[in-house]
Amino acid sequence: MAPKNIIQLQGLEKRFGKFQAVTNLNLDLLEGEFFSLLGPSGCGKTTALRMIAGFQEPSAGKVFIDGQDMAQIPANKRPTNMVFQSYAIFPHLNVGNNVAYGLRNRGLSKSEIDTRVREALDMVQLGGLQARGAGELSGGQRQRVALARALVMRPKVLLLDEPLSALDKKLREQMQFEMRQLQQDLGITFVMVTHDQYEAMTMSDRIGVMFDGRLVQVDTPQTLYAKPINRTVASFIGEMNFLPAQVAGSTDTTLRVSVPGFGTLNIDCNPNVSSSGTSIDVGIRPEQLEISVQKPEGYDGTVRGHVRNVAFYGENVHYHVGVDGIDQAIAASVPNYFHTVDHQAGDAVWLGVQNASVIDLGQNQIETQ
Amino acid sequence: MIRPSGLAIYAGLYLAFLYVPVLFLPLFSFNDGTIVAFPIKGWTLEWYRQLGDQDTLIQALLNSLLVGVVTASLSTSMGLFAARAYVRYRFKGKEASEGLVMLPLVIPGIIVASSMLVLFISIGIKPSLTAIILGHTFLALPFAVSIMKSAFDDFDASLEEAAFDLGSSVVETFRRVTLPIVAPGIVASLLVTFTVSFDEFVLAFFLSGNQPTLPVYIWSQIRFPAKLPNTLALGSLLLLASVFLLVVAEYFRRRSIKSLAKG
Repeated sequence: MAPKNIIQLQGLEKRFGKFQAVTNLNLDLLEGEFFSLLGPSGCGKTTALRMIAGFQEPSAGKVFIDGQDMAQIPANKRPTNMVFQSYAIFPHLNVGNNVAYGLRNRGLSKSEIDTRVREALDMVQLGGLQARGAGELSGGQRQRVALARALVMRPKVLLLDEPLSALDKKLREQMQFEMRQLQQDLGITFVMVTHDQYEAMTMSDRIGVMFDGRLVQVDTPQTLYAKPINRTVASFIGEMNFLPAQVAGSTDTTLRVSVPGFGTLNIDCNPNVSSSGTSIDVGIRPEQLEISVQKPEGYDGTVRGHVRNVAFYGENVHYHVGVDGIDQAIAASVPNYFHTVDHQAGDAVWLGVQNASVIDLGQNQIETQ
Repeated sequence: MIRPSGLAIYAGLYLAFLYVPVLFLPLFSFNDGTIVAFPIKGWTLEWYRQLGDQDTLIQALLNSLLVGVVTASLSTSMGLFAARAYVRYRFKGKEASEGLVMLPLVIPGIIVASSMLVLFISIGIKPSLTAIILGHTFLALPFAVSIMKSAFDDFDASLEEAAFDLGSSVVETFRRVTLPIVAPGIVASLLVTFTVSFDEFVLAFFLSGNQPTLPVYIWSQIRFPAKLPNTLALGSLLLLASVFLLVVAEYFRRRSIKSLAKG
C-alpha cells in the first residue's frame, strides 16, 4: 500500500502588506517521511511552516492535515506540534513540568502523565532529569526537552523550525543523527525548516528548495545533488563549477555540447530542466574532476591549466585551476588519501571529466561580464 | 595620586544638594524640642510615640493605603495589557498612543489637578477617595506601562506560541505562561505605582474633599508649630517606607530580567 498524504498544501500564499512571503505553494507530504524545507533566510520557509502550525493565516490557499481542511482550526486544536528555533522552554517550569505541559491540557490522569513524561524523556536520553530547572540546561539538553515536549503529544506531524541552528557543530552533527533515528523509530512525519544544506541532506527523505517565496524543486537529496533544476539550486546545494556550453546536437535523452577547454561532450538531458535554445549552462561537481600532472587517460573531456591556489580542508584538498578562455577558476577536489598535497600554486596540471559528471542546467543564466 | 576632578566635585555637590535636606527630616524628628534649629537639644522618641494617639492621622493613613492599593492594582493591570500590546503587536497609531500614555509624566500636576476637579464635578463625581483613585491611576499608568514593557521586552514571543501549540487556549496561555513569567515585573509595578500614589500631594489636595490622604493631612498639620515635630516623625517613617518599597521593587524588576535572560 502506498503511503498516504498526511499534509497537502494547495496554492498557499502569504502576504505581509506589500511583501509577498510565500507564493503559490503546492506540496504533498507523505505519512512517515522526513521532509525539509531548505532555502536562504527570508525565502518564506518559516512562514510556510507557521501556516501549517496555525500561527499564521494564509492570504490564499488551503492547508489539509490528514485530509481535513485546517482553515477554521486554530493552532491549539491542530494535530501538529512544533519545536521552536529558540526552543521556548518555559523558564518558570522544571523539565518534567515542561514536558507535561501539553498533556495537562488534555485532562489525563496524573499517573498516565507521569508515565508518558518518563517515556518521552528516556526517548531523548534525558531520563531522570524531571526535577532539573529550565535555567540549568545546556543547549543540547534544551533542544532535547523541546523535542520531548512536542513528541509526548504524539502529533501526526512534528514541525521543526531551524531546530539545530543554536547548537555548536559537533553537537549539531550528533543531533542530526539522533533526530533521524528517532523519526524512523517513531514513524511520525517530520517537517523541518533549515538553511543548512548539509543538515537537510543528511536527515531528510525529501527536500523542498525555496527561493523568494517559491518552491523551486522537491526531490530526494541524491536527485537534488545530481539533477538540480537550475543554476540557483545547484549553487545552493553543495559546490559546483558552472561553465557555458553550446548545444551542437541532441537526441531525446542526450545533448551534444561543446564546453570551452574541455571540447565536445555527450551529456544526459536533465529531465528536471526545460532546455531550450543553443546556449546552456553545465555544472561539474569539484569532486568529480580528475586532476593530474600527466594528461589523464580514459576521460571524455580534458583541459590544461595552472593551479592558482590550494585550499586544504583536512578530509580533502581543493585546487583552483585557471584555464585559458574561462574567467572563473575551476575547482577540483581530491580526497586526502595519503596526507599529501600533490600540486602547488603555479603548477601546470590537467583536468579530466567523464560525460556522466557533466550536469545539464538548462538555458544559459551566466551573466556576461 | 588621584586629584578630584571638576566633574567629581560637581557630582558631589549635586548629590549633597539633593539629599542633605532630606536627611534633616529624620535628624530633627529625634530632637527633644519643638523648634527646628541647631543645636539639637537632646534625643527623644516622644514624637514617634505620639503618632499612634492621633485618630485623624490614622484615618488619613488608612485612606492613603486604600487609595494606593486600588491605584496600584488598576494601573498595573492596565499597564500589563498595554505593555503586552506595545511589545508584541504592530498597529495603527501605536506610537501616538505610546506617547500619550507617557504624557502624565510631563503635564504639570496643578493643570491635571484643576482640570480633573472641573471634569469630575461636571460629571457628578464629588471630591472623594474615588476621585483621587481615578486621578492617581492616570498619574501612575506611565510607570506601570514602562515597567511592564521592560518585563515583556525580553520575553520570547515563542513561549506563548509554544503554550498555544501544546493545546492551551488563549486565556490558559496567559494564566499558565505569560503571567508567571512577568510576575516579578507585576510585583515591581505594584510597588512603584503604590509609592507614586502614596506620596502624591497636588491631585489628592484638589480631589480629597473631606477625606484627606496622608500627604494632605501632613500639609494641614504643618501650619501648627506645636505639631511640627510629629510631622517630621511621620515624614521620616514615610521616607523609610518609600525607599524600602522602591528597593524591593527594583529587586523584583532585576529578578524578572535575570530569570528571562536565563530562561
